[in-house]
Amino acid sequence: MGKSEVKGTVTSLSSMFPAEEVQKAAKMVEEKLSEKQNEMNQLKEFIANNTSLINLVQKLPDELHHDIMVPFGKAAFFPGRLIHTNEFLVLLGESYYTERTAKQTVEILKRRGKSLESKVDALKAVMQDLKAEASFFDSTASEAAEGLVEIREYEEDNSTERASQSGSLELETPSVAEADNKMGASEDDEYARIMSRLEELEKEELAAEDNEENLEDEDEDANAVESDGNEDELTKAAEGDGDEDELTKAAFHRKKDECYSYLDHGQRYSESQSRKQLQQFNGKEPIEEMSNKYKHQDLTKQFASTGLTEEPVTKGEISHGQIIQQDTQTLSPSINAFAPFEKKSVQTSKSEFDSSKAFTGSIVEHTQNLDKSSVGTNMTSLQSSGSQPWKPVSRFKMQRK
Amino acid sequence: MDSLRQEKVQKFEEFVDRRLKPDLVHAIAERDKIFDQQKIFSDLRKNIENLEKNSVTSLRTLVNLGSEVYMQAEVPDTQRIFVDVGLGFHVEFTWSEALKFISLRKEKLERQIEEYTRLIASIKAQIKLVCEGIRELLQIPEEKTVEGRVF
Repeated sequence: MGKSEVKGTVTSLSSMFPAEEVQKAAKMVEEKLSEKQNEMNQLKEFIANNTSLINLVQKLPDELHHDIMVPFGKAAFFPGRLIHTNEFLVLLGESYYTERTAKQTVEILKRRGKSLESKVDALKAVMQDLKAEASFFDSTASEAAEGLVEIREYEEDNSTERASQSGSLELETPSVAEADNKMGASEDDEYARIMSRLEELEKEELAAEDNEENLEDEDEDANAVESDGNEDELTKAAEGDGDEDELTKAAFHRKKDECYSYLDHGQRYSESQSRKQLQQFNGKEPIEEMSNKYKHQDLTKQFASTGLTEEPVTKGEISHGQIIQQDTQTLSPSINAFAPFEKKSVQTSKSEFDSSKAFTGSIVEHTQNLDKSSVGTNMTSLQSSGSQPWKPVSRFKMQRK
Repeated sequence: MDSLRQEKVQKFEEFVDRRLKPDLVHAIAERDKIFDQQKIFSDLRKNIENLEKNSVTSLRTLVNLGSEVYMQAEVPDTQRIFVDVGLGFHVEFTWSEALKFISLRKEKLERQIEEYTRLIASIKAQIKLVCEGIRELLQIPEEKTVEGRVF
């Protein structure tokens, strides 16, 4: 198992939402709620008064006079009568009064009632929001008390690649989907760049298809792409034998098979996942697969071709493997991993080895590694960090078997 | 020792905040109510005196039906007046009787106000006492330390 360097954070809900603060927030919300409730009661009282007044105003014009007790101040009454029973003086506000008949007064009061009711409805909506807030706070408080823990996982390019190789099933988490979604936008740009670059390489391959003489280049290329066991084959073949073409072809075939078998592996693992996670890339998947196979062949040809520097080949190899991984796992990490390789178009071999290190584990053959003690030294001389990638490669090999 | 003092200080403060201050607020509110009643009755008295002066027999007023909707009302005979004597009773008075009643009522109200004023004063005094106690508790250790330094 490769180290799953899935960086993650485990935060307990209680740290994110301290229990005390949640309780305080809940209290505040409850207070607000009670305030709103008081306002609501007041408004309802107004509405009740309004309706009773409407009834009274409608009844008064029935008689010419009404005998009543007329208040005189707050503590005294005079016996008297109500006169002009159809004339009402209504306060409109701001010390403006108007004399109206009973019917008109009723209309005024009805309009007032409507505005009051709309206020009540608005207040109800506010209260509902407050209630939802309060329930949320209560639930978080209880959760924090229970000690729930929130786990977030972030993907890194290296880790996802290895993880994809080892077991794509493991990383079937929402975080992966999140990572995909996050990298979706950047992926598109990078993917476009990658596709264009690959197309250029293909063209070069086609142009140099006939040139299969530069075995040294192949060897160097093979050395550079250490993650592929074919490298060893090729270098071995190149150094040991003169039948470069045959050996290279065999290497290509083997490599192809390995790649394809790995592809099958990946597909088996990720069929279910890819549906979910690679929904964004539905259109791209078939293209990628086709491009994978096509490029695989092209790259193998590249191996035999001349005049190609190490970088593009390794990149092609790596991109190929990465693209495979894309099919298996997620597109984003491989693309991201590939993009920087493109950028390193003119760099030392060490950079290549680093990239190849990132790509480790895709294709390895134990026998080649063992036999290549001599070659390995050469390779290590070329690759300062060459020794390290072997381990993960072998580990992966073990897993596969 | 300091911890004990701290506890005592805390207790005193709590006593002040929880019992004395609310009591003070309550007493002041009651007194204000009585002030209002006093004002009502003094207004009534003034009105009745006015009526007597001008020999007003009938009256036209606007009666508030509720929610500031007014209706005209006529008082044909102003000689009789019904005054609220408390406990939901209204007694029919003539003007002079009404004035007498009002003066009696005023006296009663004044006495009530005096009582409340005394209560408020005592509460305020208690609060001051507790504050002094707290100050003593806090100052004594300071003084000691000061003396220590002097030595």
